[in-house]
Amino acid sequence: MISTHNPIKNTVAFAGAATTGLFPKNTERSQTSYAVEACISVLRQCGLGPDDVDGVCGSFPMAQRMQETLGLTSVTWFANPHIPFINQVAAATAAVSAGLCQVALVYHGAYRLPWNTSAALRDPFRAADASIPTGPPNPDTVAGAIGYTAWASRYLHEYGVTKEDFGLIAINDRSNAATNPTAAMREPITMDDYLSARMVRWPLCLLDMDIAVDGADAFVITTAERARDLALPPVLINAVTLGMTARNSEDQIDGLRHHGQQVVIEALRAKSDFWIDGADIFFPYDGFTPIALNWIENVGYCGPGEAGDFMRQHWDPATNSVRVNGRVPFNPHGGSLSEGATQGSGHVREAVHQLQGLAGDRQVAGARTALLTPGGFFFNAQGLTLVSA
Amino acid sequence: MISDADLIDRFRGHMLSRDNAAHFRGRLDHQLLIDRCAECGVWHHPPAPACPACWSMSITPTAVSGTGTIHLVIFLHQHAPIPGFDDAMPYPVVTVELDEQPGLRFTGTMVGAANDDVVIGRRVRLDWIDRDGEPVPAFRLAEVAA
Repeated sequence: MISTHNPIKNTVAFAGAATTGLFPKNTERSQTSYAVEACISVLRQCGLGPDDVDGVCGSFPMAQRMQETLGLTSVTWFANPHIPFINQVAAATAAVSAGLCQVALVYHGAYRLPWNTSAALRDPFRAADASIPTGPPNPDTVAGAIGYTAWASRYLHEYGVTKEDFGLIAINDRSNAATNPTAAMREPITMDDYLSARMVRWPLCLLDMDIAVDGADAFVITTAERARDLALPPVLINAVTLGMTARNSEDQIDGLRHHGQQVVIEALRAKSDFWIDGADIFFPYDGFTPIALNWIENVGYCGPGEAGDFMRQHWDPATNSVRVNGRVPFNPHGGSLSEGATQGSGHVREAVHQLQGLAGDRQVAGARTALLTPGGFFFNAQGLTLVSA
Repeated sequence: MISDADLIDRFRGHMLSRDNAAHFRGRLDHQLLIDRCAECGVWHHPPAPACPACWSMSITPTAVSGTGTIHLVIFLHQHAPIPGFDDAMPYPVVTVELDEQPGLRFTGTMVGAANDDVVIGRRVRLDWIDRDGEPVPAFRLAEVAA
């Protein structure tokens, strides 16, 4: 039973968003230092000091470490949910709405760790920080991120399409990243580049997988009323939801037509004031290319298996990227594949900046609404709708 | 019966728990034990302490026939080194829908098949391989070429 009740609608807002920029290499800085830099940046932009923040919610570092590092005087609510990042956004929105705190500092530190890039082991500090494995890794599994590769094979099988459909997601992201000065990968790519990229786990190659980065994003979430008194234009949270189905293990989900995304879509659509026809920007999550294809289909732009054809129909040759009806871009910042693997915080930060009119060269003219669908299939599908105040 | 401590030591690459220990003990006898509800008969995987269909907590790890159909397939083109691991890449990993129940699936590698024959929809049967002393469930193509 999916509730359509949405008492938080437009009562909680992003007051600001900041990033350190994202770097696809082992930088000589800690994960904490990036998160702290982003937090300081967003608090200064909003005109807030250590006495003003009474809620702390992030991925890493732990809230107590962030509070002590920034000398936040006293907080009445704090939490460290798992990523993807809408888990942080949803928790902070609920906490602000319920009055557990009024001004929440919300952050995510992305960091190149050995579990997602073995090159991270070249940094002795990162190697020392890696948990000690109890035994050899098990190759006979599709658990974890490998699950997306497994369902990518099913996508090709069920819909009779080719890998070019995955490639369109990668090319769209890379073209958009060219206009984002804080993106990790900004060199344009062609379909030939995509098809000749190194295979990692068939059917997915290097360019189907997001790029591990060092960097962080931070946000202030507060009441809409309080946000109106701060320095930057507020961005209202129209609706936020998470989604999961009864069978959510990577190899046990019912199939491409029934997983966490469909739950998110049903709930988010019922709770939101607008949908794809009223969305100025769409952010289909793209940690792996087939995730984004599924989101494009599931939000209703087209039917199952048709996302590739839909993108070809709405492809803008001038920018070498998608512009739905000549207008609506997908992941204008370059997404996880090209801006960097932020587990959704980059998508949220870009949406906030676009709706504040602060997106620089890639500003979507007159953007007032954004539809975001971070996360994947299994136990991490999420949705967020935002509107300008 | 092998002790809990020895069982954990035999399967150091896996996360063993009270809920999946019986499954791994079964592997030592080349039996693929999947959790089945003692009350309503519904199977579930991975191992869990209650039946998702009727909420009974009477769960019996039960041997499956080992026959099924390939539902998902990937080929690893790279992997961290593992003792006793045949590193011939691309290495197939298949998720097999078991005949016991629609949607009940088990993931493992394929043996004795050319990668070109490892495709979604092919019928397979369970087999066992030895990896550095660890019994590992794997699948073979069921059909014999005509």
